[in-house]
Amino acid sequence: MPNPLKPERSVVTTCAYCGVGCGFKAETRAGRIVRMIPWKEGKANHGHSCIKGRFAYDYYNHPDRVRTPLIRRSIDEPWQEVDWDTALNHAAAEFRRIQSTYGTKSIGAVSSSRCTNEEIFLVQKLARAVFGNNNIDNCARICHSPTQFGLSATVGWGAASQHFDSILQADVIMVVGANPTEGHPVFGSLMKRRIRQGAKLIVIDPRRTETVKSAHCEATVHLPLRPGNNVAILNSLGHVIVRERLYNESFVRERCEWNEFELWMGLVGSDRYAPEVIGPVAGVAPEAIRAAARLYAGGPNSAIYYGLGVTEHSQGSTGVMCLGNLSLSCGMLGREGVGVNPLRGQGNVQGGSCLGSWPHVFSGYRFVTDPEVRGSFEQEWGVPLDAEPGLRLPNMFDAALTGHFRGMYIMGEDPVQSDPNRHHIVEAMRQMECVVLQDLFLNETSNYAHVFLPGSSSLEKEGTFTSAERRVNRVRKVVEPLAGYQDWEIVVRLMNTMGYPAQYAHAGEILDELARLSPAYKGLSFALLERIGSAQWPCDENAPEGTEVLHTKTFPRANGRGTFMLTEFVPTAERTNDRFPLLLTTGRILSQYNVGTQTRRTANSRWHPEDRLEINAADAQARGLRDGDWVTVTSRFGQTRLRAKLSTRVNPGIVYTTFHHATSKANAVTSDLSDWATNCPEYKVTAVEVARVDAAPMRAQAEAREDEVVEAVS
Amino acid sequence: MWAELRDLRDGVDLGTPPRDGSDVTLTIDGVSVTVPAGSSVMLAAARAGHAIPKLCASDTLEPFGSCRVCLVEVEGRKGYPASCTTLVEPGMAVRTESEKLAALRRGVMELYLSDFPAEDIPGGWSEFHETLQRLGVTSHPYGTGENHQASPVDQSNPYFLFDPAKCIVCSRCIRACEEIQGTFALTIDGRGFESKVAAGQDQPFFDSECVSCGACVQTCPTQALVEKSLFEGEYRHAQSIEA
Amino acid sequence: MGAAVKPGPGQMGETVLDLQRLLTMANQIGDFFAPYPPERRAEGIRNHLRTYWDPRMRQDLLDYIASGGDGLVPQVLEGARLLVETEHDKKGYYGPPKA
Repeated sequence: MPNPLKPERSVVTTCAYCGVGCGFKAETRAGRIVRMIPWKEGKANHGHSCIKGRFAYDYYNHPDRVRTPLIRRSIDEPWQEVDWDTALNHAAAEFRRIQSTYGTKSIGAVSSSRCTNEEIFLVQKLARAVFGNNNIDNCARICHSPTQFGLSATVGWGAASQHFDSILQADVIMVVGANPTEGHPVFGSLMKRRIRQGAKLIVIDPRRTETVKSAHCEATVHLPLRPGNNVAILNSLGHVIVRERLYNESFVRERCEWNEFELWMGLVGSDRYAPEVIGPVAGVAPEAIRAAARLYAGGPNSAIYYGLGVTEHSQGSTGVMCLGNLSLSCGMLGREGVGVNPLRGQGNVQGGSCLGSWPHVFSGYRFVTDPEVRGSFEQEWGVPLDAEPGLRLPNMFDAALTGHFRGMYIMGEDPVQSDPNRHHIVEAMRQMECVVLQDLFLNETSNYAHVFLPGSSSLEKEGTFTSAERRVNRVRKVVEPLAGYQDWEIVVRLMNTMGYPAQYAHAGEILDELARLSPAYKGLSFALLERIGSAQWPCDENAPEGTEVLHTKTFPRANGRGTFMLTEFVPTAERTNDRFPLLLTTGRILSQYNVGTQTRRTANSRWHPEDRLEINAADAQARGLRDGDWVTVTSRFGQTRLRAKLSTRVNPGIVYTTFHHATSKANAVTSDLSDWATNCPEYKVTAVEVARVDAAPMRAQAEAREDEVVEAVS
Repeated sequence: MWAELRDLRDGVDLGTPPRDGSDVTLTIDGVSVTVPAGSSVMLAAARAGHAIPKLCASDTLEPFGSCRVCLVEVEGRKGYPASCTTLVEPGMAVRTESEKLAALRRGVMELYLSDFPAEDIPGGWSEFHETLQRLGVTSHPYGTGENHQASPVDQSNPYFLFDPAKCIVCSRCIRACEEIQGTFALTIDGRGFESKVAAGQDQPFFDSECVSCGACVQTCPTQALVEKSLFEGEYRHAQSIEA
Repeated sequence: MGAAVKPGPGQMGETVLDLQRLLTMANQIGDFFAPYPPERRAEGIRNHLRTYWDPRMRQDLLDYIASGGDGLVPQVLEGARLLVETEHDKKGYYGPPKA
């Protein structure tokens, strides 16, 4: 067979990995996907791709995929294969039994940023209209909930102000707590293209990431701060901007609330935020802070891109507000080449945010406490709705431990692996009487589930994703769902089984309904997306084909003005001491994706077969560690084992790991601290100690565990 | 703005990147066409519906001018300039087809063919094969000389392979790695006949800095770089480099 | 002090969340609003509790304050007082924190 076989058919769809939202042509031959080709007309990728979207698609057909619904009476019993009716009847009966025993609020639902907009919208409807409470949350809770909170507080909308191409007009690019070349590779390539054209780069990150220095791309200023000092450093940048009068007074006077600006100047301008004071605390040279502030304020076009290194802190929301404050003070909003832009880890984090899988807001960020808004949903859904906010995801687990929360529907999430303070989560899961998990594979959470509904991958369903640039992209069915149903169909069946008469002929009808109930999505429909490919919200009568750049004339706040929040630095309660002298922080690597459910089931694991603990040579030497040694990582909350990797990427006092492998159990050590405003966990700062362990038994144990996992899912 | 990214179209290769610029009008084979200043003659011809055959050019990469297939005639100029590196000028009159041009192009394609696996000439569907078909070239007049047909296939990457026997050293992979991906993992190693595409310090792809973004595979006109998923069973070459 | 202990099967603890956790959350909110002028500080805390907290969590906090409120930062007490005083006037409670 000399020449390659030619694919027979191709379907344009959207990558389900990170939040860049690349367009792909999925090519098939004999009903199987044989190739993913980056789509030249994809507005985020323009024909480019990364290893995940381009090559790591084979998980969809992996033998581990569950193809039949499973139930069991208790988590100590083995799974039983059943038909769909039996599984759904069991789930519905259990949920109703729990509610009649423990009250309406004793169950809740969680959706995922891997779900489509339509599915996310339906799951909130399931909780609000069928469960009759607002116990609905999604995994953005544990990554970008502070973005929604912090950006809406300052600039009005909790979303990226720009489109990705806008970076090609930036003169200064400030990357905070993100590593785009690994986490958002296609955007990373665009950023590097701009840097090769001469744009300056500021990186604020504890680690000398790949973004800090790579071929033909080097940061002009890198602030390698100690984890937990974001707000201090960002306020210190503000200090320099205020004291050196680098702010854009005319922008602030015309577009912002001047009184609040003055209050903010009073706060950050005070001596306690001088670089000479903050620098030593945060582990950064004061002159570097000044240089970064001057560079950012000088522009002329300065753009901020940030990631979970900003949000996943006990002051995550405050950190996001700092970025809002900085951009407003320097007038870096409302045109091409500037802005504040969250880089979202999963394909549909923005959609998860927009479409009401929050306990306090309906789709379109409208508050459940607002009677007028609630009325419009009650009218559409035909049932009375709860007027009070429900429990957030971490609070659902907290309430499970007190007996107030007993049942959970989870779509596409693995909280036991991905949520912080694993022991706490496991205890909570054990307390629940009915956990219904809808997913592709059995996972860590399914160990504690009572019903497993086999879901569909993004290659098997219709719908839309909203990428990190607010772009609504079409997801199209390339192959038939392996277990028979698209995820939205399963949710509809569960709603029906619980006695609620929802009916949709196709996913497009769900988009129509959510468009009626979410102002920014008002103009969206499958027909529009078919015609123009994709559209960035807001998409309505004023912007029938969407909006690329936000805040060009006003800010979406009551008075149309941007405002400044008082962002006092409050150090985290998670501190180092003699017992736990090192700070552990976490990140991602190019070839793996989040908890690895998909990528670990592809050849991508050849590049990253295990998570390693990066440790500075000085710290390693003090502990007698060599590269490759097995070590225990111990925190106040638990312990895990990893292999050490001596690295110059982290400074002394800091250790770092990725969290892609279940066996690494990074969350066995993470703390129970969380963001003050949103309960987003403080994954990025954990005080730990690292010690060498005898290699052989560790390796045997790790291998045994890996076998266990494989066995459990096969 | 961003014409070089936003004006790309699926299924269309304009040959060189679209540009933003003021209008320039010229004629291609007598057809009047208006394109932005800074565009190549190749792009203008594609816009005029007279796409010029080419191998080393792609509208996702800056023009390079190495393959010698895209030659044209320009009224009032001597010789046969490469249309990818020749910029449009107002009033320019370009001929994309003539007997002389056809002969030149055929000659170049025959040379490429003389160092291409003979069994892979029929039945292919790469850009290279499409160009062969378009120019009506199915064989070459050369005997077996020095060639690259016994070079080992790099199968180290789990997702794609590199078969130097099919490589025409057009540098599209190298430019994609630099211009699109920004990794700079690929180079041309050696000079003249010895020159070949190499990853890293002449390492297997898997061991090099390559990040497997697939940009090189996507742009390769000959399927020398190609997805393994498109083959059933083993790739044919006996000698290969594994990870 | 509250329901730090796991309830037995079928039982429910006195508070919805472990009380210590609830108090930590309340104090964190108090810390954020600390730099604001007194009136706005109380309003900010009240709005936050009203908009983002399950009503049972709010009630548990108020009950704890009624029983002494030890360990809470003063501005949380101010915010909670305002929450009670304006209980029936819910208009304007919702929305992101107003500067």
